[in-house]
Amino acid sequence: MKEFNESEIIKDLKIDARGVGIPEGAAEIFINRTMKEAKKTLKNKSIITETDLKRVIVKELKKYHKDLAYVYQNRDTIV
Amino acid sequence: MNILEKQPPTCYNLNMNVLISVGILILAMLIMAFLQITPGVFALSYHYAIGKYSKKKASRLMLFFIIGVEIITACVLLSVYYLISILCFGNFQPETSILTWIMIGILFAFSILSAFYYYRRGNSTKLYIPRKFARALDSSAKSIKTNSDAFVLGVISIACELLFILPLFIVSAIELMRLDLHSIPINLLAILLTLAPLFPLFIIHYKFQAGYNLANILKSRSKNKSFNRVILSLSYLIIAVLIICFKVNLQ
Repeated sequence: MKEFNESEIIKDLKIDARGVGIPEGAAEIFINRTMKEAKKTLKNKSIITETDLKRVIVKELKKYHKDLAYVYQNRDTIV
Repeated sequence: MNILEKQPPTCYNLNMNVLISVGILILAMLIMAFLQITPGVFALSYHYAIGKYSKKKASRLMLFFIIGVEIITACVLLSVYYLISILCFGNFQPETSILTWIMIGILFAFSILSAFYYYRRGNSTKLYIPRKFARALDSSAKSIKTNSDAFVLGVISIACELLFILPLFIVSAIELMRLDLHSIPINLLAILLTLAPLFPLFIIHYKFQAGYNLANILKSRSKNKSFNRVILSLSYLIIAVLIICFKVNLQ
């Protein structure tokens, strides 16, 4: 079991966003809004699987940038 | 001496046997170019490198990745060629040897394997390699910092693909050895064989330079999965059939 580490997720998302070609300012806004919404959704849950967390983040990211959401969704299934 | 007499132009003696050998080598190159671990790791590490560093540094890291891939491929081909040539100094004759039949069996097996088990089930581009290996490759791609990291990752990604590469190199080494030096530029074929795994890497590099991102590349890889399977499977099958029909002495 791992503790929820928001800063690690944000760091990964920032790398992905830059890799996908989103300008830094826009990426920051997308990521902050996504994390805010994700935390709101998961507010009542004390334990959550990584898959569920990923699903919630991807669902929120899709609203802002589909390519970023696709990369984040598939980051462990490329090779 | 008649000074008007011209030197005869160099003409290559292309008989059927030579054409079949060249055909086998071209199919081997095709398979090498269609294997997926190295392009997958390359795309992933390129994506992370662009995400972390400047474009210039990312390009330099990827150059070292490519050098790693090329060097290990050349080393493996040369080692296999050397081992086969040692065998050929003895009584080894590929036409009648049991090794050829073993190779044919392996090629048939890989034809089936690449059709059904090269990719894992699902929509993703997950490959046959154990998940621990895949995770290790993923985290190595993520943590590339120096040129040597990139070089080592290139070497490791080819090493992970050795299962599918080794039988090809054994067959190719035998064919290269059989070719007559005067009939075809063998060195050129050997060089092309070692360069074959780089073709998809150059395409991915070009795509990144042209503004594509990892999502576009992944989507196209995912879309072409079936085509990739068919090409791999058919190429292994055709090589095996060509060896049985033209290279093995059945009497």
